Amino acid sequence: MHTVENKSDERLLWTRFLKGDNQVLSLIYLQHSNSLFDYGCRFTNDKDLVKDCIQEVFCSLMRTRHNLSETDNIRLYLLKSLKRKIISELKKHNSQTRILTDQDYPFDLHWSENMDEQLNDLDEEKRQLLTDAMQSLTERQKEAIYLRFNRGLEYEEISFLLNLNYQSSRALIHRAIEKLRQIIHVPNKKINQYLFCILHKRSEPVFEHEN
Amino acid sequence: MEKYRDYTAVDFLNDESFLKWLTNPGQTENDFWHDFIQKHPYKKAEIKEATVVFKLFHSNEEKLDLNETYELWTRIQREAKVSTRTVFLKFMKYAAILLLVFLSGGVTYYFIQHPEKPYYFELAETVPPAGKEARIILADGSEVSLEKQISEISYSTNGRQLIVNNDTINQQSGTQKEQINKVIIPYGKKSMIVLSDGTKVWLNAGSQLIYPSVFVNKTRQVMLIGEAYFDVAKNPDKPFIVRASDMYVHVVGTRFDISAYPEDKMIQTVLEEGKVNLTYSGKGILKEEYVVEMVPNQKFELDISTGQAKSQMVDVSKYVSWKDGMLEFDKVDLIRALKQVERYYNIRIRLANPMIGLYKLSGKLDLKDEPEEVLNVIKLTVPIDWQKKSNGDFVILGK
Repeated sequence: MHTVENKSDERLLWTRFLKGDNQVLSLIYLQHSNSLFDYGCRFTNDKDLVKDCIQEVFCSLMRTRHNLSETDNIRLYLLKSLKRKIISELKKHNSQTRILTDQDYPFDLHWSENMDEQLNDLDEEKRQLLTDAMQSLTERQKEAIYLRFNRGLEYEEISFLLNLNYQSSRALIHRAIEKLRQIIHVPNKKINQYLFCILHKRSEPVFEHEN
Repeated sequence: MEKYRDYTAVDFLNDESFLKWLTNPGQTENDFWHDFIQKHPYKKAEIKEATVVFKLFHSNEEKLDLNETYELWTRIQREAKVSTRTVFLKFMKYAAILLLVFLSGGVTYYFIQHPEKPYYFELAETVPPAGKEARIILADGSEVSLEKQISEISYSTNGRQLIVNNDTINQQSGTQKEQINKVIIPYGKKSMIVLSDGTKVWLNAGSQLIYPSVFVNKTRQVMLIGEAYFDVAKNPDKPFIVRASDMYVHVVGTRFDISAYPEDKMIQTVLEEGKVNLTYSGKGILKEEYVVEMVPNQKFELDISTGQAKSQMVDVSKYVSWKDGMLEFDKVDLIRALKQVERYYNIRIRLANPMIGLYKLSGKLDLKDEPEEVLNVIKLTVPIDWQKKSNGDFVILGK
């Protein structure tokens, strides 16, 4: 939903909110609550904690409104605040299990629903390779991939959330793409086609012009 | 389009427009990429490969259901109110000291504050997007625009299919959770929706309805901003609840109308048939909840700013005739009647003198006509005249 038109809508909402119009906050909330909730659930299984943190993010948004500027990117601002909040909460409560730092925290990136089942139809070797490739991703790589392919963020936005420079975040994702692509892109065209078909079964009619 | 000719799968995945097509396509992206594939068939393999990698990396999302979304928002609101109150109390402490100082100097000082007012908002766009397209927003965030003046939407019982003005749209419903859909109807448009349980909802101009594609929870809950007429499908095991601003309407199986436009600052419910319970919270410190049981032909009005409620018996047809393109008034303030005309035609009407708004209007208006004709009909019953300004606004003058 981030067409140019929506981006200008978003800007308008933000401006109105900064000028003191609280009515638009509910709209900002509705637009972002699901992506925030999903992003939050990648850091922890504790859904109530995620909700508490979302609550805190919006409350502090109202408190700190006068410090914010019109050029801020709302979505990015919310994602960043939520991440910071959750990690600091996790540090407080989960310190015995694992020492968290601002650069070292778990991030959950799982196959899509039914993906396991679909991959079962694939030959054993290829499936293993794909699973291994997914598992060998670093936590930061997973987060970068998530932000890119689930949230649809641009590289600059990803760098901001990961505290990396543009080149590094691009490289993180690039390496991961290459790895998977090499497994899929084998001389055996048949497997490639087959894999494509099964993966594509559930999706929108992207290739409806195909014969 | 030129630059894409030498793109590899990896290049495609690095491209913002391509990625947008896969994650959140709009009309522009769909047109562009379908066109591109048709003109460059040799790129198909690379694009397929990019799509496969994308699918492997794209994972399922956790979503808040309607209840959770609402609950969380209520918590945020409550928290916000509490924090303004503490700020206010702190302020009062200093003010009290100042006041003492002033009093000792023999000076009295007055100030007025509204501690309750600042943070009040609703879980939806309170300002309906005038002039914008009517549209449905599906659970995955994609939008379907409703091109017609009066749209019809109906859901299959499993919620996976919806028919919009004769076009069928499929939507996934893989999880156990409620998938939230939202219909936004700007001023000047109307819509009729058949929900997955068979409940029919007529949505008036400038309104929004938020509802799940299938009702999986113990109660069937929807949220309304604006005005709607409900014909609720009977299901005693799953009560139907409409949430509108400060009020809940708890329904067993019945026909009723709710008007809760934010700018009206009041909620009005009219029961045509069946039984409903209204729950609303009073103003003041205690915020106690009131429950009202309504009977057919009863009208209940709640003033949002004062919390005052009143009810009376009415002729229901006058309140629900809008769904058939008619407005009926029985000694209604002209200002309220004009407000409805404004919404219906998406026009602006101003009063040259606010006193004009207090004329009482009775009668029937056929809304299929042009706004000019409607104003001429009104002119016959109350002593007014009107002018159309160059910007399209109407001005009502007294005679």
